[in-house]
This record gives sequence, C-alpha cells and structure tokens, in this order.
Amino acid sequence: MTRQMTSDKILTSEMIAEIKSYFPRYPTRQAVTLPALHIVNERLRHVPLQAVVEIAELLELAPAEVQDTLTFYGFFKQDKPHGQTRAWVCRSISCALLGGEEVLEHLCERAGVKPGETTSDGKLTLEFGECLGACEFAPCMLADKTLHKCLTKEKADEFLQSVK
Amino acid sequence: MPTVIVDQQEIEISDDERLNGIQVADRAGIDIPRYCWHPGLSVVASCRMCLVESGRRDPETGKVSMIPKLVPACQTPATDGTVFVTNSEKVQAARAMVEEDLLIRHPIDCPICDKAGECSLQDYHFEHGQTERRADLKPFTSRRRPLGDTVTLFVDRCVMCSRCVRFCREVSGTSELMVTDRGAHEEINIFPGYPLANKMSGNVVDLCPVGALGDMDFLYEQRVWFMKSHDNVCTGCSTGCSIKVEENQDQVYRLKPRENSHVNKWWMCDEGRYGWKYVHDKRRVTEPCRREGNGYVNVEWSELPSMLDSELRKAGHLAAVLSPHLTVEEAYMLAKYIRDIDPTALLALGYVPVEGEDETIGDGFAIRAEKCPNRRGVEAIVARMGDGLVTWHEFLKRVGSEKVDAVWLTAGYKTDWNDEQVAETISSIGTTIVQDTFPSPVWDHATYQLPGASFAEREGSYVNHDDRLQSFKWAIRPPAGVKIEGQLYWQLLRMPGLFNARKVLDEISRGIGFFEAAAQLVPAIGVNLKVNQLAK
Amino acid sequence: MSNFEPVLLANIDKPDSHTLRGYEANGGYAGLKKVVSQMKPTDVTELVKTSGLRGRGGAGFPTGLKWTFLPKDHPGPIYFCLNADESEPGTFNNRILMEEDPHQVLEGLIESCFATDATTAYFYIRYEYPLAFERCQSAIDECYQAGYLGKNILGSDFSLDVYMHRGAAAYICGEETGLIESLEGKRAWPRIKPPFPAIEGAFRKPTVVNNIETAACVKHIIDRGVEWFQSIGVPKDPDNPRDAGSYGPKLYCLSGHVEKPGCYEAPLGLTVNQLIEDYGGGIRGGRKAKAAIPGGISMGLLRDDEFDCPLDFNGPGKHECLGLGTAAVIVLDETASIVDYLHNCCRFFAHESCGQCTPCREGTSWALKMLDRIKAGRGRLIDLDLLLEIGDSIGIMPGTTICGLADGAAWPIKNAIRKFRNEFEDYIKQTNPNGHMETRPVPAMELVQIV
Repeated sequence: MTRQMTSDKILTSEMIAEIKSYFPRYPTRQAVTLPALHIVNERLRHVPLQAVVEIAELLELAPAEVQDTLTFYGFFKQDKPHGQTRAWVCRSISCALLGGEEVLEHLCERAGVKPGETTSDGKLTLEFGECLGACEFAPCMLADKTLHKCLTKEKADEFLQSVK
Repeated sequence: MPTVIVDQQEIEISDDERLNGIQVADRAGIDIPRYCWHPGLSVVASCRMCLVESGRRDPETGKVSMIPKLVPACQTPATDGTVFVTNSEKVQAARAMVEEDLLIRHPIDCPICDKAGECSLQDYHFEHGQTERRADLKPFTSRRRPLGDTVTLFVDRCVMCSRCVRFCREVSGTSELMVTDRGAHEEINIFPGYPLANKMSGNVVDLCPVGALGDMDFLYEQRVWFMKSHDNVCTGCSTGCSIKVEENQDQVYRLKPRENSHVNKWWMCDEGRYGWKYVHDKRRVTEPCRREGNGYVNVEWSELPSMLDSELRKAGHLAAVLSPHLTVEEAYMLAKYIRDIDPTALLALGYVPVEGEDETIGDGFAIRAEKCPNRRGVEAIVARMGDGLVTWHEFLKRVGSEKVDAVWLTAGYKTDWNDEQVAETISSIGTTIVQDTFPSPVWDHATYQLPGASFAEREGSYVNHDDRLQSFKWAIRPPAGVKIEGQLYWQLLRMPGLFNARKVLDEISRGIGFFEAAAQLVPAIGVNLKVNQLAK
Repeated sequence: MSNFEPVLLANIDKPDSHTLRGYEANGGYAGLKKVVSQMKPTDVTELVKTSGLRGRGGAGFPTGLKWTFLPKDHPGPIYFCLNADESEPGTFNNRILMEEDPHQVLEGLIESCFATDATTAYFYIRYEYPLAFERCQSAIDECYQAGYLGKNILGSDFSLDVYMHRGAAAYICGEETGLIESLEGKRAWPRIKPPFPAIEGAFRKPTVVNNIETAACVKHIIDRGVEWFQSIGVPKDPDNPRDAGSYGPKLYCLSGHVEKPGCYEAPLGLTVNQLIEDYGGGIRGGRKAKAAIPGGISMGLLRDDEFDCPLDFNGPGKHECLGLGTAAVIVLDETASIVDYLHNCCRFFAHESCGQCTPCREGTSWALKMLDRIKAGRGRLIDLDLLLEIGDSIGIMPGTTICGLADGAAWPIKNAIRKFRNEFEDYIKQTNPNGHMETRPVPAMELVQIV
C-alpha cells in the first residue's frame, strides 16, 4: 500500500547507479541503507522524505524501515539542506576541559545561530559534536573534511570569515 | 523428564518443549512481570522487567550455583536443572527500578486513558514498584498521533517495548510502524503517507502493554472494569478465530482474540474484530409476526411453538434450510424436529457467503473467503440427517420442481443474502417460516417472521475450515425478548428445562460419527474432529 | 619507559608511510606472504591465542580465544568486521593508525581473516574520520592491485574482499552487535547475547569483530613471534588462574590538562604518572593534578593520589574504575570542576544511549536532568544518593542492561561522587543555599499539555 509523496523523483540516475553499485558488497539490500543515505546526503546536503521513499523502493524495504534507521543517527537533515559548510564543534570532555564549549558558544553568537541551525545565507551549519577523535588538538572542529585544531576564539573568527 | 526449579518449586517439562523462564514460572503459578516479551514475537529482552536470578542445580550433588548477575527470564531457556529465583531482594529492587524508570516520563493519564484497569504499568507499579515518586516532576505532555483508520497513538505513554513495531515486521509483514530518533527521544511513528493499514492492524492495540496504542473503535467507549469477558468464536469467516466478546449489560463493546495455537495463535483480523456492530444495529428485527392478509400481526413468543408445530404438522412435505451461521446444535435440533414430523423432509445447507479469495497475511495468518463460521458443521448435519448434501442453489432449483408445502428458513447473515428473485422462488412455497436478524425480500414475503440471534447471543459449537470444533456460551442476551434459535428448537423438541447446548452435543457426538471427538468436554481451544475420521 | 622502541607507531613519521610503496619499503606484507604460503588458518589462530593478545577496543577479551568460538567446518560465509568506529571520548589512536599506517592495519586484518576463514571483511569507520577513510580506501585499492586482496591472494586459495562502510555519528555503533545491526542497515540497537556474534553475527552468519589496534598487533605477532610479544607488558599473575596477562605494546592517548597531549606507544602496564611525566610533559602550566580518566570516560575517574595505577587490564579495576578501556588518559588539573566533568559525561551518555533498554534509556536521561539541575543551582544533597543508586544499578555487570554503554555511563557517576563527594556537596550547598536540604521531588511542574 504505497502512495507517492510527489510525482517528482529526487534520486538522479547517477545516484541510483551508485547505490546499486553497492549491492554486490552485501548479502542483503537492507545493508545498503547507510551507504545510500550517505550517497544522497553528500549531493543534496539532506535526505528529504521523498528520497527515503525512493531509497526504500530500490532496497525493497518499507519507507518506515529506512526512516527508522535514518532518524536513529541524528545526522541526516530532512526538511532542508544544511549549509554549504557543516562544522561540528566537539563538546566532549577533552575539548571541554580546554575551552571547547566556550568556542562553540562564541561561534554560535558570531554566526547568529544555535547549534544545529544554518545561517540565513545558507553558507554554514554549526553543530555540536561528540568526541571527534582528535583530542591531542583540543579544542577541535570538523568542518566538512577539514579538521580545525587547537581552536581559539581568534581562529574561530578566521574560520567564520573563510566561509562567508 | 527435565525438571526446572522455580522459587524452590519443581516443575517438570517435557523433552521437546522449548520454554523460557517466564513460561516455566507461569506453570509454577508465578507471574514474572514483562513488557516486551510476547510468545508470538521475537525475543528482544529490552524492557528488563522480567529480570530474575538464575543458576543451575548440579544433577549429582544437588548443589545450586547461581549466576551473580540478573538475567532476563524471557531469554533464559528452561532446561533440566535450571534454577530460577523470582522473588529475591535483588530481583525486587531491579523490578522497582525499571518500573520507576518507566514512570519518570510517563504522563499520568490514568483518568483519561483507555488502558486503565488492564494496564501493565499500573499493575506492576502496585505489585512491584517503588512506594514513593523520587523523580523530578516535569511538564507532562500527552500528545496524540493518528496512525491510521483503526489505531491511534498517545505518543508519550509509550514504554518502547517495540512490540507493535515487531508485529508489523514479523507477523503482518507490512512494516508500517517504526521507531524514530534515539535514546530518551524515541517515539513510535509511521512514515508520512504510509499509515498503519494492514488487515490485522488491531492486534497492535492488544499487544501494547500500556495505553499508548488506542483502538479507534473502542476509544473512550467503556471502562474495562465494567465489562465482562466471554469466550466465543469469530463468525467473520471459516478460520473461526477464538475470541472474547466483552460486554456490559448486554451491550457489546469490543472483541479480542483468544490464544489458540491451532487456529489463530494470538491474533484476529480487523474484519472480524470490528465486524460486530450489526449485533446492535437498530434495523435488527425483534418482533415475531405472522402474515395476515396484506399485513403482519405480532405473535407472542409464548404462543409460537404450538402455532408453528401445528402449522408444520398440517403442511405435508417439509423443508428446512440450515444456515452456516447456525451452531451445530441448532442445525441438529431443527433438522431432527423437521425430519421427525416429515421423514422425507428436504434438508438443505443455507446460502454460503463467499467474498474474494482466501488470503494469507505475513507469516501465515489466514482470512478466508468463506464468510461464515460453520459451513463444515452444518454441512455435516445436512448430509447425514438429510438425504445427502443439498446446497442452497440446488434447493432453489428443487423448490421449482419438487412440491414443498412448508419451509423453515434460517439465516442470521451480516449482509444482504437474497433478492426479489429469490424471494419469489421461496414464496412459491405455501408456508415460509423465516428466522433471520435483518429484513430482506425473503423476510418481507414470509408467512412467519421469526427474529433470530446474532453470534453474541448464541450458544453451541462451530466447525471451522480445518474441522476444528469450538464450543462457546452466549455473551449477551438478545434484544427485546427475542428467543434464540437454540431455545426455540429445544422447546419444539419438548426438551425439559432450558436449552443446554452441551446435552445436544452429547447426543450429536453419539449419533453422528463426524462429531465423535466432541463426546468429551470440548476444551477452550476446541477439538480436532479429523482425529477420529482418519480411522474411518 | 619513554625509551620503548615504537612498533605500532614505528613508521608514522616516515614519508609516504600510508602508501603501499612506503609500507613495503619497511618490510610490509612479508608476514602475509609467509602466512598464506606456509601456515594453516588454525596455525595463525593458535599463534594469536598463545600470544595472549587481548582486544584493544575496550573490553580486553583475548583475541585468539574469540576466534576459536567460530563454529568448525562452517559452510560459510564467515564475516569479519573491523571496528573503526572509535568514539570513546579521549581516544584517537585508531585514527592515527588509519591515517598514517593503514597498511599495517590491513595486513593484520587480512591475516586475521585468513585465520578465521572469513571471506568478506567490513571496515566500519566512523563518519568523522574523513582523512582516515580516504587513506584506508586508497590502501585497500592498492592491496587489490597488488594481489593482497581479492580472489586467490598471492596465488593461494584464500580470497578476501574488504569493503569500507561509513557510520553516521552514533557511539553505540562501536559496540560489536550495535555495529553489526548498523552494518545490516538497521538502527544500531545492540543484540542480546546469546547468540554471540561468533555463532550468529552479521547477516546471521558467524562473525568476528575486532578493533583496529588489535589487527595491527596481529601483524606484529606474526612478524616477530609470540615470545617477542610476551616480552612486553605485564605477564599473567601465576597465583591467579583467571588473569590473562597484559601483553604487548599499547597506544596510549593522552589529552586534557597536560603540556604535550598526543598518542604514545609503551608497553602495557605504564602508570598514569609515567605517562603524564615521561611522555606528556607534566601538567600544563606547572599546575597540580586533580584527577585523571584512565581509559576513555567510560572507565571512570582516578584521584590524583591514584596516579600510580598501572595502565594494564588489572590496574584500573583495583582503583574502582571499570577497567583499562581504550587506555585514553584524560587529565584534569586543579582548575577543573568535577561537577562539570560529570555533567559532560552524563550529557554524552544520555545523547548516545541507544534507547532500547529501560534502565539505560531512562537512567542516563534522569542522571543528565539531575546534573542539569545541579549545575543550574537547584541541586539537592539527596540527588547525589539518587545518582549513586542509578550508577550502581545500571549495566551488564549487574545484568540490568543489554550492553556495556550503561556501565560506561555508571562509572563516571560512581567514581566522581564517591571520590569527590565533598566537591559536589560544597557546590550544591553554595549554589543552592536554600534548597539543598530538600528531599521531596523538586516541583518543576509547569504545564500539563494534552494535545
């Protein structure tokens, strides 16, 4: 018993091809769920509900099963794309001991957003992250693929400038 | 025989049984509290309410060694020498913690929650919970979220036992329900646009141990402590699910499935579950009448037996149409009565409603196309007490060619079962006694209009598609003094006292080989009639 | 001790250490060649078992022994999962290994798969390690090209595929059955055991889950032998038959209030003092130490007078900590607030609890709410006893939860409040002078919303 969300498909043929290229790696289609979510998320910067329906169809699952997995992680935004840059500021103990929470507060204040939110120009999403595994460089921040080490308020300001 | 020790009671189980701690404790008369475990679903051991102490008793020395940590009884197999302790201080403390944990964020909705009175959270709190609330009071929210046409969700009451999600994935195979988010933010939800809409959706409400899932049909209708529960059998189709009819003061409020591993396991379909409204439909006929001229006059129930008896004895060639909604006992009594008067009487099986195809859902639950509970049983009566099986269609044909002077037509269908053309054929018979629940063309032309019983008012037995006979007693009294078929036939046969279905079944099982297995008292799960037939 | 010659970190400063060329230039894959051509899978398992190698992921279970739990003569497939979901706060050694010397890990992985007859290995890597992901994927590609992966490796009848599988920021995916569920595409709710993964794991087939550092150790045990491995670390206690010893080198992660945070390699058994002084340059700014986390926050807290604790599989337990964990030492100096520390830990576990079982889901959430309230100046002294009750009751050790996340959540609470009770009491009394003696639930009921 299925109903289309909209009639416009979201998954491009390129995305579908890439998702399908993962099928031979696993004995079940369901195991391709996380890879498929990442494939869509990396291109669209979010995984809208319609995409979930299409992924479910490809993987021969019910949409609820894919959505269940998706929401568990708290990682995939769904209603709109995250910023062009998504920056995770670590709030775990090693970074907190060296001022990480203050840096996050400072960044949020300067950028005018709360953790999890995107700036109005769509350029930056600030998030708090749990231990990023770079404690020797505390306090640190992972902005897309770049690890920002030993953050200070000054370095944070520099970073904000760079994403404008 | 393997022996399991539960709170120092020795419980013997058989070699081929695979039981867990909860099941074996049940045999010892001990109820281990649990939320997430259910015999029909996979074991997840996530609620942690069934934690017990477990160990082994050395077969040689008899020495008991206990595992130092608690284990969930639901995931601990009961084997020879397994020891369970369900009432130690350690166990009690753990249960109290789990119960306290579940109540921290649970909105205290009891006064407005349907589940009150049959709620595990309530019951276990009183039996196993802490004596005082220690958690900070928080603003309580009690949100409601529709899941589909049949079930609604009170989101914040959920204790995350995941039974409903597992049901949709494992039993109905439809996977509409999901858990969203993580940790203390988890909620049950459906995917937008994909509501909970499988044919067994109502079962999730049975499964929910608290008032999170609500049955739209039953919501706010009745408090459970006012209702009485009666074992019965669903008449929706020939699967014949074992059910309970729950009523208060002769008003049915809901049907629930009864466990029967041979028929329906723990489930019933929505069609059967919600298909009882016709019992209280205002259009039901309640006044016995006799045709006079162009109209009808009321007849007293007390006058009817002698009136009908003399009418039938005058008539000549008789016929009886036995509906597949009659119980075995009713069919037998009417057949016997009619054949006593006229040994050549034409006995026929009534109209058998068939809709669509037999359907198997998910992991094997069957909804059958034959939408009546007792064709097998009535057919057996007709075939053995009449001159072979005559179907409804054959009967209609024979009415034209054979001269029938009077016919007793039984019905009791949920839906329309005849039309003007059928009514015309029947009307060619001089005297028609129609016993039914709703008006119809045939009813409107009858000589005698006898209101009949609905399934909830009957007493007796049905035989399902698999030749399983199940017996039940009446759940509610019929409306407005209607005399149910069983009682009327009992009187016509001049049996002493009140109608007693078991006595009739005794007679049937002695006289008709097909029913031999029903000679002993029929257990709640019914009896397989085939057991004896293989020998014949 | 600081003159221990690194083994695991031996090559990370060499140029191109992460490439196949660089790795082979340092003798890489010689061990694999020997294994594949001269040994039987059971030989390798026996070797690893005899070495006494214990898992480096946090539980310290003897690796070779775990491999022997796989059913004999299984028709297959058997799966191997490499746990690169390193998310225990304070821990970053796996990241360094993957970024700087991925082939070391891969060689150990391939040898482990050979030993366990695994035909497919899933390299489950957390999403927050983009460089490590790139370097490992690149290393895997190089292996395929060189014939170290794929069909008929080095001409033998051993075939293996390795696929990288990226996580999505959930700590519980580091738990072995949580990892398996996540791999299978479901929510990462850990499974009840039995059945154990060795019997019924990924896709219901026999599965071994091992840590990155563990795989790297396998490579070295094969290269250098059991005697070498056992010459490093702390031997088993001859009077205690249950002691499996603490053999081999260990990567210690040091962070927090020290001069030189970093990843240091030393034999198992290094004390906290030695790690801080000999490797870490002492407490930053010459301050005094207050406390140290011995092995990732799940292990709890050591007081400064407990810094003689040896970092092996037995030491932390003797100081009421949960265990060695990931050997990630985080140092708190005298300026650190234990109240803040505990709040940070409780917030972490409440955020990461998978939510499946009641004591952890509700216990971690309740603990966080209490810490929130304490930090906000509305704490009660009785809260400390309630927190201890939660801490003492949740976990796989008492048997009340499905997995060990709850134990990890409990130990910081137990250690912090028991070892630093005065600090908590002072804080509560000072910030809530009028309400700290309250014993009834704090009334915070604002509005009942029925929607």
